[in-house]
Amino acid sequence: MRINCPHCGQRSNDEFSYLGDASIVRPDPAAPNANEAFYAFGYERANIAGPMQELWYHAAGCHAWLVVTRDTRNHEILDVKSAQEVALERQKAAGTAQ
Amino acid sequence: MSELANHTNTAHASDLIERNDVTVTNIAARRGARASLDERARATFGVSLPSTPKAVEAGGALIVWAGPDQWLIIQKDEAGRDHYSELAKTFNGLASLVDVTESRTIFRISQARPSPVLSRSMGIDFHEDAFKPGDVAITHVSHLGVIVWRLPDGTAYDFACARTYSRDFGDWLRKAKA
Ligand SMILES: [Zn+2]
Repeated sequence: MRINCPHCGQRSNDEFSYLGDASIVRPDPAAPNANEAFYAFGYERANIAGPMQELWYHAAGCHAWLVVTRDTRNHEILDVKSAQEVALERQKAAGTAQ
Repeated sequence: MSELANHTNTAHASDLIERNDVTVTNIAARRGARASLDERARATFGVSLPSTPKAVEAGGALIVWAGPDQWLIIQKDEAGRDHYSELAKTFNGLASLVDVTESRTIFRISQARPSPVLSRSMGIDFHEDAFKPGDVAITHVSHLGVIVWRLPDGTAYDFACARTYSRDFGDWLRKAKA
């Protein structure tokens, strides 16, 4: 499997380490349901059969965190973005929603 | 000079050398300071800091991309000059700087084309049309982290690794280029 790092280009997956689901966002600790929300944040994971967003770290390369959209059924990689870019987009979306 | 450096420099000094005559400074842009940092770099060196894996030579320095918003600045030692302190003053407030001269070893293989063994030993396409003069790659060789670049004038390949591993990596390079 090769991952197209937006900074480095195509690299073998042995240069990367895997963290997991990239769609999970840390809950607000001040929210009234914070206990349940943190339980879900810590433990509950969907076992997706199909494309999912995952966090990968280019450990042996540029040291950037990436959001990789991978089809878990055949390892096809559909999209790779820098995690920083994704986080900024999310912040922007959250800001406009409020 | 360290025992390791001597070890590396003796037997095969012809076209594989360890560069002991340079100061290496790692700089990382402070958050939000990328544009001002670039402006300062242009005023100092006459070039922008590369935002893609490239190495540029200008103003007596080789500037090597070392990841997003990070670079290695490599400058030949000169009597009476303290390159690191000069850079720290130049980029004060815009970047974090670390003098990594003693923690990185830079090897140079002076050859215009990649040796076939080199091409086979890293997960990088070293074909001349793919890895051109001025190109940079951060990768690993048998689990050792390495930054490799081709000099902008195309005369050599440089390899920077952690000094701790320089003996192993030097041995590996010597075999790879043979
Ligand atoms: Zn990368």
